[in-house]
Amino acid sequence: MRYTGVRTQQLDFTEFYRESKNACLFAVLVSVGDRDVAQDLVDEAFARAWASWRSVGRHPAPAAWVVRTALNASVSRWRKRRREVPLPEPGTVADQAATHGATDSSLDPRIMVALTRLPARQRQVVTVRLLLDLDTARTAEVLGISPSAVKAHLARAIAALRSDLIPETQQEKPSCTTTK
Amino acid sequence: MHDDEVITAVREQRDKVHSHTPVNQIISRGRTVRARRRIPAAASGLAVVAAAAVVLGAGLSGAFGSAPASGTSTIRTTAFTLTSHANGTATLTINSRVLLEPSTLQADLQQDGIPAMVTTGSFCSSDPIPAGFPRVVSQAPSPTTLTVTINPAAMPAGTELSVGNFQNSATSSDTAIELINTNSRTCSSALPTPPPSGEGVMFMGRGSGMGEPAGS
Repeated sequence: MRYTGVRTQQLDFTEFYRESKNACLFAVLVSVGDRDVAQDLVDEAFARAWASWRSVGRHPAPAAWVVRTALNASVSRWRKRRREVPLPEPGTVADQAATHGATDSSLDPRIMVALTRLPARQRQVVTVRLLLDLDTARTAEVLGISPSAVKAHLARAIAALRSDLIPETQQEKPSCTTTK
Repeated sequence: MHDDEVITAVREQRDKVHSHTPVNQIISRGRTVRARRRIPAAASGLAVVAAAAVVLGAGLSGAFGSAPASGTSTIRTTAFTLTSHANGTATLTINSRVLLEPSTLQADLQQDGIPAMVTTGSFCSSDPIPAGFPRVVSQAPSPTTLTVTINPAAMPAGTELSVGNFQNSATSSDTAIELINTNSRTCSSALPTPPPSGEGVMFMGRGSGMGEPAGS
């Protein structure tokens, strides 16, 4: 029947949404730092994806399209309000997440803060390459940079994350009871 | 701490975050976004139509020497136009090029005294189908028309109109209308089948081959 195409599209989108909504939310959360804002941005980006599903569905990485749309909307929102988007304080993201159900409550604030501290390009590479699980070539395509640049940014990002996380790992020893 | 451990730690955080927004809510919002995009184009078209209506109205008024009918009101959205007439009937025109927001049309029909169940991508029917559909709904002669006239006074007690809109593409849709019993309503994603009696279902579709009303 003629409407079968629309129903197939809806099933297709529903499957895409189910598979990628959490990763997209986390990717946006890492950049904007606020759980509620991230949820609003991602919901709106998915709605726009459905509104243009004929083209977005053929995008090489629809999840990356959603994240990019959400982050572009975040920038637009910031421009409208003309105020700085505050970088989340250590623990803020994890604390906010705790109010969104038990499944979010065990976020590690050290890792979240370490991610937000990354330079923008490194964070983009981490987002697309690690959080959205795209390979190096596809990550390069989505971000408009070369594959070697992806590898370089990812290596630097992982080094930065490691240096942020290593002291805390050492504090996991029973003798250490204080954190800074 | 090796690279793999860092990557695993990051991915573990990702897997702890869960979005709880239902997909239906996203799709509903997406439809609004899509409809809103079409408003500028539709608005320019409506402006032309409105201007023509004013001219036609003035011409007819002069030709027949009568004042505009009192008690007539029109609700106009990008997806449909619903005009209620002084005699209690209502004329519904559906714009097949714009996605229909079912709750809006359903509320507007009910405001005009027409109990209705409006759906998109599905259709509600009942068994048995109540009699009297041709007295309730009449369609303009053109097989491709998207305009029907509804007479709520002819609706038997305990019945409602089922209006199912199926979007074929971004720019066309088919709509089926049926008189159903409210108490035995069942809904499915399939288009309705015209009953053997020939009474009950009317299709409004542009070039879909479904334009011929099943009613006698």
